[in-house]
Amino acid sequence: MNTQTSHATTLVGGEWIHQDGDHTALMITKCHNCGSTWFPPREICSKCASGNVEQTRTGNYGIAYASTVVRIGPAAFQPPYVLAYVDLDGARFLAHVDADEALAPNTPVELRVGAIGEDDTGALSSYIVAEVTELPASGVAR
Amino acid sequence: MRPVYVAGAAVHPFGKHLGVNAAELGFRAVQELLASTGISPEQVDAGYGGSTYGGSLLAQRVLQRVGVSGPPVYTVENACASGASAVHLGWQAIAGGFADCVIAFGTENLSGFGGGTLPLTTNDIEISQGMVMTAAYAMRAQRYLHDFGATADDLTRVSVKNRGNGARNPRAHFQQAISPEDVKQSRPVADPLRLLHCCPNSDGAAGVLLCSEEFAKELTTPSIRMRASVVRSGDFHTSYRDMTWPDITARAAKAAYEMAGLKPNDLDLVELHDAFSVAEFLHTEALGITERGQAYKATARGEFDRDGRVAISPSGGLLSRGHPVGATGVTQICESYWQLTGEAADLQVPGAEVALTHVTGGGIFGVDNGACSIHILTTN
Repeated sequence: MNTQTSHATTLVGGEWIHQDGDHTALMITKCHNCGSTWFPPREICSKCASGNVEQTRTGNYGIAYASTVVRIGPAAFQPPYVLAYVDLDGARFLAHVDADEALAPNTPVELRVGAIGEDDTGALSSYIVAEVTELPASGVAR
Repeated sequence: MRPVYVAGAAVHPFGKHLGVNAAELGFRAVQELLASTGISPEQVDAGYGGSTYGGSLLAQRVLQRVGVSGPPVYTVENACASGASAVHLGWQAIAGGFADCVIAFGTENLSGFGGGTLPLTTNDIEISQGMVMTAAYAMRAQRYLHDFGATADDLTRVSVKNRGNGARNPRAHFQQAISPEDVKQSRPVADPLRLLHCCPNSDGAAGVLLCSEEFAKELTTPSIRMRASVVRSGDFHTSYRDMTWPDITARAAKAAYEMAGLKPNDLDLVELHDAFSVAEFLHTEALGITERGQAYKATARGEFDRDGRVAISPSGGLLSRGHPVGATGVTQICESYWQLTGEAADLQVPGAEVALTHVTGGGIFGVDNGACSIHILTTN
Protein backbone atom coordinates (compact mmCIF):
# COMPACT_ATOMS: atom_id res chain seq x y z
CA MET A 1 0.00 0.00 0.00
CA ASN A 2 2.89 2.35 0.73
CA THR A 3 5.58 3.52 -1.64
CA GLN A 4 8.85 4.85 -0.22
CA THR A 5 10.57 7.66 -2.08
CA SER A 6 14.13 8.87 -1.68
CA HIS A 7 12.93 11.83 0.42
CA ALA A 8 11.65 9.48 3.13
CA THR A 9 8.11 10.59 2.31
CA THR A 10 5.60 7.78 2.36
CA LEU A 11 2.98 8.25 -0.33
CA VAL A 12 -0.03 6.44 1.11
CA GLY A 13 -1.95 4.75 -1.72
CA GLY A 14 0.72 5.99 -4.13
CA GLU A 15 0.28 3.12 -6.58
CA TRP A 16 -3.32 4.25 -7.25
CA ILE A 17 -2.50 7.89 -7.93
CA HIS A 18 -2.08 9.12 -11.50
CA GLN A 19 -0.57 12.56 -11.98
CA ASP A 20 -0.50 14.41 -15.27
CA GLY A 21 0.79 17.94 -15.00
CA ASP A 22 -1.50 19.75 -12.53
CA HIS A 23 -4.14 17.04 -12.75
CA THR A 24 -4.40 14.33 -10.11
CA ALA A 25 -6.56 11.28 -10.74
CA LEU A 26 -7.13 7.91 -9.09
CA MET A 27 -7.02 4.51 -10.69
CA ILE A 28 -10.32 2.65 -10.29
CA THR A 29 -11.74 -0.63 -11.55
CA LYS A 30 -14.94 -1.05 -13.58
CA CYS A 31 -16.41 -4.53 -13.78
CA HIS A 32 -17.77 -5.34 -17.24
CA ASN A 33 -19.72 -8.29 -15.86
CA CYS A 34 -21.80 -6.61 -13.10
CA GLY A 35 -21.04 -2.90 -13.50
CA SER A 36 -19.46 -2.40 -10.07
CA THR A 37 -16.88 0.32 -9.50
CA TRP A 38 -13.94 -0.28 -7.17
CA PHE A 39 -11.40 1.80 -5.37
CA PRO A 40 -8.74 0.73 -4.56
CA PRO A 41 -8.52 -1.01 -7.96
CA ARG A 42 -8.51 -4.79 -8.17
CA GLU A 43 -8.02 -7.64 -10.63
CA ILE A 44 -11.12 -9.59 -9.60
CA CYS A 45 -14.48 -7.93 -9.03
CA SER A 46 -15.40 -8.07 -5.34
CA LYS A 47 -19.11 -8.26 -6.21
CA CYS A 48 -19.31 -11.03 -8.80
CA ALA A 49 -15.74 -12.44 -8.71
CA SER A 50 -15.37 -11.84 -12.47
CA GLY A 51 -11.95 -11.16 -13.96
CA ASN A 52 -13.59 -9.21 -16.79
CA VAL A 53 -12.61 -5.85 -15.35
CA GLU A 54 -11.06 -2.67 -16.69
CA GLN A 55 -8.57 -0.45 -14.90
CA THR A 56 -9.46 3.13 -15.62
CA ARG A 57 -8.71 6.66 -14.42
CA THR A 58 -11.07 9.05 -12.64
CA GLY A 59 -11.51 12.69 -13.46
CA ASN A 60 -10.05 15.18 -11.01
CA TYR A 61 -13.27 16.75 -9.66
CA GLY A 62 -15.63 15.14 -7.17
CA ILE A 63 -18.34 15.93 -4.62
CA ALA A 64 -17.95 15.71 -0.83
CA TYR A 65 -20.63 13.40 0.56
CA ALA A 66 -19.82 14.14 4.21
CA SER A 67 -16.95 15.60 6.17
CA THR A 68 -15.62 16.10 9.70
CA VAL A 69 -12.76 17.63 11.64
CA VAL A 70 -11.02 14.95 13.69
CA ARG A 71 -9.94 16.70 16.89
CA ILE A 72 -8.88 13.63 18.85
CA GLY A 73 -7.15 11.00 16.76
CA PRO A 74 -3.88 9.23 15.94
CA ALA A 75 -0.84 11.46 16.54
CA ALA A 76 0.62 10.61 13.11
CA PHE A 77 -2.09 12.70 11.44
CA GLN A 78 -1.54 15.67 13.76
CA PRO A 79 -5.11 16.46 14.90
CA PRO A 80 -7.06 18.52 14.16
CA TYR A 81 -7.36 17.26 10.59
CA VAL A 82 -10.26 17.28 8.15
CA LEU A 83 -11.57 14.15 6.44
CA ALA A 84 -14.25 13.74 3.79
CA TYR A 85 -15.94 10.98 1.87
CA VAL A 86 -15.74 11.96 -1.78
CA ASP A 87 -17.86 10.70 -4.68
CA LEU A 88 -16.11 10.59 -8.01
CA ASP A 89 -16.90 8.66 -11.20
CA GLY A 90 -18.92 6.02 -9.37
CA ALA A 91 -16.41 5.47 -6.57
CA ARG A 92 -16.50 6.76 -3.01
CA PHE A 93 -13.26 7.19 -1.15
CA LEU A 94 -11.98 8.78 2.04
CA ALA A 95 -9.47 11.60 1.79
CA HIS A 96 -7.90 14.33 3.83
CA VAL A 97 -9.18 17.80 3.04
CA ASP A 98 -6.91 20.80 2.70
CA ALA A 99 -9.08 22.97 4.99
CA ASP A 100 -9.56 23.97 8.62
CA GLU A 101 -13.27 23.22 8.83
CA ALA A 102 -15.45 20.36 7.63
CA LEU A 103 -16.83 20.69 4.11
CA ALA A 104 -20.59 21.02 3.83
CA PRO A 105 -22.28 18.04 2.13
CA ASN A 106 -22.25 18.33 -1.68
CA THR A 107 -19.26 20.70 -1.81
CA PRO A 108 -17.38 20.30 -5.13
CA VAL A 109 -13.77 19.26 -4.55
CA GLU A 110 -10.61 18.82 -6.58
CA LEU A 111 -8.12 15.98 -6.24
CA ARG A 112 -4.53 16.80 -5.33
CA VAL A 113 -1.53 15.19 -3.73
CA GLY A 114 -0.54 16.64 -0.39
CA ALA A 115 0.77 16.09 3.12
CA ILE A 116 -1.43 14.16 5.55
CA GLY A 117 0.87 13.64 8.52
CA GLU A 118 4.15 12.35 9.82
CA ASP A 119 5.16 9.15 11.60
CA ASP A 120 8.48 7.69 12.85
CA THR A 121 9.53 6.87 9.29
CA GLY A 122 9.02 10.43 8.03
CA ALA A 123 6.41 12.53 6.26
CA LEU A 124 3.16 11.00 5.02
CA SER A 125 1.43 12.24 1.92
CA SER A 126 -1.45 10.93 -0.17
CA TYR A 127 -4.25 11.91 -2.52
CA ILE A 128 -6.21 14.68 -0.80
CA VAL A 129 -9.02 17.00 -1.82
CA ALA A 130 -9.64 20.74 -1.61
CA GLU A 131 -12.77 22.78 -2.22
CA VAL A 132 -12.99 23.85 -5.86
CA THR A 133 -12.59 27.59 -6.14
CA GLU A 134 -13.08 27.78 -9.90
CA LEU A 135 -15.47 25.27 -11.42
CA PRO A 136 -14.48 23.70 -14.73
CA ALA A 137 -16.62 24.66 -17.73
CA SER A 138 -18.00 21.14 -17.83
CA GLY A 139 -19.24 21.44 -14.21
CA VAL A 140 -19.00 18.79 -11.55
CA ALA A 141 -21.46 15.93 -11.63
CA ARG A 142 -21.80 13.39 -8.87
CA MET B 1 -35.54 -25.90 15.02
CA ARG B 2 -36.05 -26.31 18.75
CA PRO B 3 -37.08 -23.37 20.96
CA VAL B 4 -34.16 -21.75 22.79
CA TYR B 5 -34.34 -20.19 26.25
CA VAL B 6 -32.19 -17.80 28.22
CA ALA B 7 -32.18 -19.14 31.77
CA GLY B 8 -29.58 -16.99 33.45
CA ALA B 9 -27.57 -13.80 33.12
CA ALA B 10 -24.55 -12.31 34.83
CA VAL B 11 -22.59 -9.10 34.31
CA HIS B 12 -19.29 -7.98 35.71
CA PRO B 13 -19.92 -4.26 36.22
CA PHE B 14 -18.54 -2.15 33.36
CA GLY B 15 -16.00 0.57 34.03
CA LYS B 16 -12.27 1.04 34.30
CA HIS B 17 -10.65 -2.13 35.61
CA LEU B 18 -7.04 -1.42 34.81
CA GLY B 19 -4.88 -4.52 35.29
CA VAL B 20 -7.83 -6.94 35.32
CA ASN B 21 -7.45 -8.71 31.99
CA ALA B 22 -10.26 -9.91 29.73
CA ALA B 23 -9.96 -13.54 30.84
CA GLU B 24 -10.23 -12.56 34.51
CA LEU B 25 -13.27 -10.34 33.87
CA GLY B 26 -14.87 -13.14 31.84
CA PHE B 27 -14.16 -15.64 34.60
CA ARG B 28 -15.87 -13.44 37.18
CA ALA B 29 -19.00 -13.09 35.02
CA VAL B 30 -19.19 -16.79 34.17
CA GLN B 31 -18.54 -17.84 37.75
CA GLU B 32 -21.46 -15.63 38.82
CA LEU B 33 -23.60 -17.14 36.06
CA LEU B 34 -22.99 -20.68 37.32
CA ALA B 35 -23.60 -19.67 40.93
CA SER B 36 -26.84 -17.84 40.14
CA THR B 37 -28.30 -20.61 37.96
CA GLY B 38 -27.10 -23.43 40.20
CA ILE B 39 -25.83 -25.53 37.33
CA SER B 40 -22.63 -27.54 37.53
CA PRO B 41 -19.88 -27.43 34.90
CA GLU B 42 -20.51 -30.99 33.62
CA GLN B 43 -24.01 -29.91 32.53
CA VAL B 44 -22.52 -27.46 30.03
CA ASP B 45 -22.41 -29.00 26.54
CA ALA B 46 -20.50 -26.19 24.81
CA GLY B 47 -19.04 -22.74 25.42
CA TYR B 48 -18.71 -19.62 23.28
CA GLY B 49 -16.70 -16.55 24.23
CA GLY B 50 -16.71 -13.27 22.29
CA SER B 51 -13.83 -10.82 22.48
CA THR B 52 -12.02 -8.53 20.05
CA TYR B 53 -8.81 -7.85 21.92
CA GLY B 54 -8.77 -10.77 24.39
CA GLY B 55 -6.41 -12.94 22.38
CA SER B 56 -6.20 -16.55 21.27
CA LEU B 57 -8.24 -19.20 23.09
CA LEU B 58 -9.90 -16.59 25.29
CA ALA B 59 -13.00 -18.76 25.77
CA GLN B 60 -10.92 -21.72 26.95
CA ARG B 61 -8.94 -19.53 29.34
CA VAL B 62 -12.20 -18.37 30.93
CA LEU B 63 -14.28 -21.55 30.94
CA GLN B 64 -11.58 -23.96 32.11
CA ARG B 65 -11.40 -21.97 35.34
CA VAL B 66 -14.99 -22.93 36.16
CA GLY B 67 -14.62 -26.59 35.22
CA VAL B 68 -15.82 -26.40 31.61
CA SER B 69 -12.91 -28.10 29.87
CA GLY B 70 -13.32 -30.94 27.45
CA PRO B 71 -16.51 -30.03 25.56
CA PRO B 72 -16.38 -27.87 22.42
CA VAL B 73 -15.36 -24.31 23.23
CA TYR B 74 -15.01 -21.48 20.71
CA THR B 75 -13.52 -18.00 20.80
CA VAL B 76 -15.44 -15.65 18.55
CA GLU B 77 -14.15 -12.38 17.07
CA ASN B 78 -16.63 -10.16 15.20
CA ALA B 79 -15.65 -6.66 16.39
CA CYS B 80 -18.48 -4.99 18.35
CA ALA B 81 -20.73 -7.95 17.54
CA SER B 82 -18.30 -10.53 18.99
CA GLY B 83 -20.33 -11.29 22.11
CA ALA B 84 -23.67 -11.39 20.30
CA SER B 85 -22.09 -13.64 17.65
CA ALA B 86 -21.01 -16.00 20.42
CA VAL B 87 -24.61 -16.06 21.66
CA HIS B 88 -25.81 -16.73 18.11
CA LEU B 89 -23.54 -19.76 17.78
CA GLY B 90 -24.80 -21.03 21.12
CA TRP B 91 -28.37 -20.51 19.89
CA GLN B 92 -27.56 -22.55 16.76
CA ALA B 93 -26.29 -25.43 18.88
CA ILE B 94 -29.44 -25.57 21.01
CA ALA B 95 -31.88 -24.89 18.17
CA GLY B 96 -30.20 -27.54 16.04
CA GLY B 97 -30.34 -30.14 18.80
CA PHE B 98 -26.57 -30.43 19.23
CA ALA B 99 -26.60 -29.15 22.82
CA ASP B 100 -29.06 -28.74 25.69
CA CYS B 101 -27.13 -26.20 27.73
CA VAL B 102 -24.42 -23.75 26.67
CA ILE B 103 -22.64 -20.76 28.11
CA ALA B 104 -22.12 -17.73 25.89
CA PHE B 105 -20.21 -14.75 27.16
CA GLY B 106 -18.33 -11.67 26.05
CA THR B 107 -15.44 -9.93 27.73
CA GLU B 108 -13.02 -7.11 27.06
CA ASN B 109 -10.42 -4.96 28.72
CA LEU B 110 -9.78 -1.71 26.86
CA SER B 111 -7.99 0.17 29.68
CA GLY B 112 -4.76 -1.43 28.55
CA PHE B 113 -4.84 0.78 25.42
CA GLY B 114 -4.78 4.03 27.39
CA GLY B 115 -7.08 6.84 26.25
CA GLY B 116 -8.21 8.16 22.88
CA THR B 117 -9.73 6.34 19.96
CA LEU B 118 -9.54 2.56 19.71
CA PRO B 119 -6.90 0.95 17.50
CA LEU B 120 -8.55 -0.47 14.37
CA THR B 121 -7.51 -3.17 11.94
CA THR B 122 -4.32 -2.47 10.06
CA ASN B 123 -3.88 -2.84 6.30
CA ASP B 124 -7.03 -0.86 5.60
CA ILE B 125 -6.81 2.06 3.19
CA GLU B 126 -9.12 4.28 5.24
CA ILE B 127 -7.32 3.60 8.50
CA SER B 128 -4.00 4.41 6.84
CA GLN B 129 -5.66 7.75 5.90
CA GLY B 130 -6.46 8.54 9.54
CA MET B 131 -9.96 7.07 9.82
CA VAL B 132 -11.20 6.46 13.37
CA MET B 133 -14.67 5.32 14.52
CA THR B 134 -15.46 8.80 15.83
CA ALA B 135 -14.86 10.23 12.35
CA ALA B 136 -17.08 7.62 10.67
CA TYR B 137 -19.98 8.42 13.01
CA ALA B 138 -19.28 12.16 12.82
CA MET B 139 -19.74 12.03 9.05
CA ARG B 140 -22.93 9.97 9.43
CA ALA B 141 -24.09 12.64 11.90
CA GLN B 142 -23.21 15.54 9.59
CA ARG B 143 -25.13 13.92 6.77
CA TYR B 144 -28.13 12.97 8.97
CA LEU B 145 -28.41 16.54 10.24
CA HIS B 146 -28.09 17.83 6.67
CA ASP B 147 -30.59 15.43 5.12
CA PHE B 148 -33.31 15.53 7.78
CA GLY B 149 -32.96 18.94 9.40
CA ALA B 150 -31.89 17.71 12.83
CA THR B 151 -29.43 19.71 14.93
CA ALA B 152 -26.60 19.01 17.36
CA ASP B 153 -29.16 19.62 20.13
CA ASP B 154 -31.05 16.56 18.89
CA LEU B 155 -27.89 14.46 19.23
CA THR B 156 -27.48 15.84 22.72
CA ARG B 157 -31.00 14.72 23.64
CA VAL B 158 -29.96 11.08 23.10
CA SER B 159 -26.97 11.47 25.41
CA VAL B 160 -29.09 13.10 28.11
CA LYS B 161 -31.82 10.43 27.88
CA ASN B 162 -29.43 7.49 27.96
CA ARG B 163 -27.23 8.90 30.70
CA GLY B 164 -30.39 9.50 32.71
CA ASN B 165 -31.33 5.84 32.30
CA GLY B 166 -27.80 4.71 33.12
CA ALA B 167 -27.84 6.70 36.35
CA ARG B 168 -30.11 3.95 37.70
CA ASN B 169 -27.96 1.05 36.48
CA PRO B 170 -25.45 -0.30 39.02
CA ARG B 171 -23.64 -2.14 36.20
CA ALA B 172 -23.05 0.98 34.07
CA HIS B 173 -19.70 2.65 33.57
CA PHE B 174 -21.32 6.10 34.00
CA GLN B 175 -24.01 6.30 36.69
CA GLN B 176 -24.55 10.02 36.65
CA ALA B 177 -27.23 11.94 34.75
CA ILE B 178 -26.02 14.82 32.59
CA SER B 179 -27.58 18.05 31.32
CA PRO B 180 -27.61 19.42 27.77
CA GLU B 181 -25.19 22.07 29.02
CA ASP B 182 -22.73 19.36 30.16
CA VAL B 183 -22.76 17.95 26.62
CA LYS B 184 -22.28 21.38 25.09
CA GLN B 185 -19.31 22.06 27.35
CA SER B 186 -17.61 18.72 26.68
CA ARG B 187 -14.59 18.49 24.38
CA PRO B 188 -15.18 18.47 20.64
CA VAL B 189 -14.05 15.07 19.34
CA ALA B 190 -15.01 14.97 15.65
CA ASP B 191 -17.41 17.67 14.45
CA PRO B 192 -20.35 17.69 15.17
CA LEU B 193 -19.68 15.12 17.94
CA ARG B 194 -18.50 16.10 21.38
CA LEU B 195 -17.12 13.80 24.04
CA LEU B 196 -20.53 13.24 25.67
CA HIS B 197 -21.96 12.17 22.30
CA CYS B 198 -19.53 9.21 22.42
CA CYS B 199 -19.55 6.01 24.47
CA PRO B 200 -16.55 5.41 26.70
CA ASN B 201 -13.98 2.68 26.16
CA SER B 202 -14.75 0.32 29.04
CA ASP B 203 -13.75 -2.93 30.65
CA GLY B 204 -16.32 -5.54 31.55
CA ALA B 205 -17.86 -8.93 30.88
CA ALA B 206 -21.26 -10.56 30.60
CA GLY B 207 -22.54 -14.11 30.24
CA VAL B 208 -25.81 -15.90 29.54
CA LEU B 209 -26.99 -19.46 29.96
CA LEU B 210 -28.85 -20.75 26.90
CA CYS B 211 -30.78 -24.00 27.04
CA SER B 212 -33.52 -26.17 25.61
CA GLU B 213 -37.09 -26.16 26.90
CA GLU B 214 -36.59 -29.42 28.84
CA PHE B 215 -33.41 -28.14 30.43
CA ALA B 216 -35.07 -24.85 31.42
CA LYS B 217 -37.82 -26.77 33.24
CA GLU B 218 -35.24 -28.41 35.51
CA LEU B 219 -33.87 -25.05 36.63
CA THR B 220 -35.16 -22.91 39.48
CA THR B 221 -34.23 -19.67 37.69
CA PRO B 222 -36.82 -17.95 35.47
CA SER B 223 -36.29 -18.23 31.72
CA ILE B 224 -37.23 -16.19 28.67
CA ARG B 225 -37.60 -17.32 25.07
CA MET B 226 -35.07 -16.37 22.38
CA ARG B 227 -37.39 -15.91 19.41
CA ALA B 228 -34.77 -14.74 16.93
CA SER B 229 -31.00 -14.81 16.67
CA VAL B 230 -29.41 -13.28 13.58
CA VAL B 231 -25.92 -12.31 12.42
CA ARG B 232 -25.18 -10.49 9.17
CA SER B 233 -22.00 -9.18 7.56
CA GLY B 234 -21.63 -5.87 5.76
CA ASP B 235 -22.52 -5.45 2.09
CA PHE B 236 -19.07 -4.67 0.62
CA HIS B 237 -18.89 -2.10 -2.14
CA THR B 238 -16.94 1.09 -2.84
CA SER B 239 -19.55 3.04 -4.78
CA TYR B 240 -21.92 5.70 -3.39
CA ARG B 241 -23.60 4.76 -0.13
CA ASP B 242 -26.34 6.42 1.92
CA MET B 243 -24.62 6.68 5.28
CA THR B 244 -27.87 7.63 7.05
CA TRP B 245 -29.31 4.17 6.34
CA PRO B 246 -27.36 1.32 7.96
CA ASP B 247 -28.48 -1.44 5.61
CA ILE B 248 -26.69 -4.10 7.67
CA THR B 249 -29.09 -3.27 10.53
CA ALA B 250 -32.09 -3.22 8.22
CA ARG B 251 -31.21 -6.62 6.71
CA ALA B 252 -30.56 -8.22 10.10
CA ALA B 253 -33.79 -6.73 11.48
CA LYS B 254 -35.89 -8.03 8.60
CA ALA B 255 -34.54 -11.54 9.16
CA ALA B 256 -35.07 -11.30 12.92
CA TYR B 257 -38.67 -10.07 12.68
CA GLU B 258 -39.45 -12.86 10.22
CA MET B 259 -37.88 -15.50 12.45
CA ALA B 260 -39.74 -14.24 15.52
CA GLY B 261 -43.04 -13.65 13.74
CA LEU B 262 -43.09 -10.20 15.35
CA LYS B 263 -43.17 -6.61 14.16
CA PRO B 264 -41.47 -3.42 15.35
CA ASN B 265 -44.80 -2.39 16.94
CA ASP B 266 -44.63 -5.42 19.23
CA LEU B 267 -41.43 -4.26 20.96
CA ASP B 268 -41.56 -2.99 24.53
CA LEU B 269 -37.86 -2.25 24.82
CA VAL B 270 -34.79 -2.08 22.65
CA GLU B 271 -31.12 -2.15 23.58
CA LEU B 272 -29.34 -0.90 20.47
CA HIS B 273 -25.84 0.09 19.41
CA ASP B 274 -25.73 3.74 20.50
CA ALA B 275 -21.94 3.91 20.33
CA PHE B 276 -22.47 7.55 19.35
CA SER B 277 -25.68 9.57 19.83
CA VAL B 278 -26.42 9.69 16.11
CA ALA B 279 -26.33 5.90 15.95
CA GLU B 280 -29.51 5.71 18.03
CA PHE B 281 -31.36 7.68 15.33
CA LEU B 282 -29.91 5.62 12.48
CA HIS B 283 -30.66 2.26 14.07
CA THR B 284 -34.08 3.17 15.47
CA GLU B 285 -35.08 4.00 11.90
CA ALA B 286 -33.39 0.96 10.32
CA LEU B 287 -35.07 -1.27 12.93
CA GLY B 288 -38.41 0.04 11.67
CA ILE B 289 -39.39 1.59 15.00
CA THR B 290 -39.98 4.97 13.43
CA GLU B 291 -40.15 6.44 9.94
CA ARG B 292 -37.03 7.46 8.07
CA GLY B 293 -35.66 10.79 9.28
CA GLN B 294 -38.15 10.96 12.16
CA ALA B 295 -36.22 9.41 15.07
CA TYR B 296 -34.92 12.73 16.32
CA LYS B 297 -38.44 14.14 16.51
CA ALA B 298 -39.78 11.04 18.28
CA THR B 299 -36.89 11.28 20.76
CA ALA B 300 -37.76 14.92 21.48
CA ARG B 301 -41.39 13.88 22.08
CA GLY B 302 -40.26 11.33 24.69
CA GLU B 303 -41.45 8.31 22.69
CA PHE B 304 -38.26 6.42 23.53
CA ASP B 305 -38.10 7.22 27.24
CA ARG B 306 -38.33 4.32 29.68
CA ASP B 307 -42.08 4.98 30.08
CA GLY B 308 -42.57 6.01 26.45
CA ARG B 309 -44.03 4.18 23.44
CA VAL B 310 -41.00 1.88 23.28
CA ALA B 311 -38.11 2.17 25.72
CA ILE B 312 -34.84 2.61 23.83
CA SER B 313 -31.63 1.98 25.74
CA PRO B 314 -33.43 1.71 29.11
CA SER B 315 -30.25 0.33 30.69
CA GLY B 316 -28.37 3.44 29.62
CA GLY B 317 -27.07 2.13 26.31
CA LEU B 318 -23.44 2.13 25.30
CA LEU B 319 -23.38 5.86 26.14
CA SER B 320 -23.82 5.03 29.86
CA ARG B 321 -22.99 1.37 30.29
CA GLY B 322 -19.80 1.82 28.33
CA HIS B 323 -18.56 -0.32 25.50
CA PRO B 324 -16.24 -3.18 26.35
CA VAL B 325 -16.47 -4.19 22.69
CA GLY B 326 -16.93 -7.97 22.89
CA ALA B 327 -19.10 -7.82 26.04
CA THR B 328 -21.68 -5.33 24.77
CA GLY B 329 -23.93 -7.70 22.81
CA VAL B 330 -24.15 -10.12 25.72
CA THR B 331 -24.84 -7.49 28.34
CA GLN B 332 -27.75 -6.21 26.22
CA ILE B 333 -29.28 -9.70 26.44
CA CYS B 334 -28.62 -9.81 30.20
CA GLU B 335 -30.35 -6.46 30.69
CA SER B 336 -33.28 -7.69 28.59
CA TYR B 337 -33.42 -10.92 30.61
CA TRP B 338 -33.86 -8.91 33.80
CA GLN B 339 -36.46 -6.70 32.12
CA LEU B 340 -38.54 -9.65 30.91
CA THR B 341 -38.27 -11.55 34.18
CA GLY B 342 -39.31 -8.42 36.10
CA GLU B 343 -35.97 -8.21 37.90
CA ALA B 344 -34.72 -4.95 36.41
CA ALA B 345 -35.35 -3.00 39.65
CA ASP B 346 -34.97 0.76 39.06
CA LEU B 347 -34.57 0.18 35.31
CA GLN B 348 -37.80 -1.79 34.93
CA VAL B 349 -39.88 -1.00 31.86
CA PRO B 350 -43.47 -1.49 33.06
CA GLY B 351 -45.08 -4.60 31.59
CA ALA B 352 -42.09 -5.51 29.39
CA GLU B 353 -42.81 -8.67 27.36
CA VAL B 354 -40.83 -8.26 24.12
CA ALA B 355 -37.24 -7.02 23.82
CA LEU B 356 -34.88 -6.54 20.91
CA THR B 357 -31.10 -6.28 21.21
CA HIS B 358 -28.85 -4.95 18.46
CA VAL B 359 -25.10 -4.55 18.07
CA THR B 360 -23.18 -3.62 14.98
CA GLY B 361 -19.60 -2.71 14.42
CA GLY B 362 -16.31 -3.16 12.81
CA GLY B 363 -14.56 -0.25 11.14
CA ILE B 364 -13.32 -1.58 7.82
CA PHE B 365 -13.65 0.26 4.52
CA GLY B 366 -16.36 -0.55 2.00
CA VAL B 367 -19.11 -1.62 4.44
CA ASP B 368 -21.52 0.06 6.89
CA ASN B 369 -20.08 -2.24 9.50
CA GLY B 370 -18.32 -5.57 9.46
CA ALA B 371 -20.85 -7.48 11.56
CA CYS B 372 -24.31 -6.94 13.04
CA SER B 373 -26.33 -9.14 15.36
CA ILE B 374 -29.94 -8.90 16.48
CA HIS B 375 -31.79 -10.95 19.08
CA ILE B 376 -35.50 -10.86 19.90
CA LEU B 377 -36.56 -12.09 23.32
CA THR B 378 -40.02 -12.67 24.80
CA THR B 379 -41.42 -13.62 28.18
CA ASN B 380 -42.57 -16.99 26.85
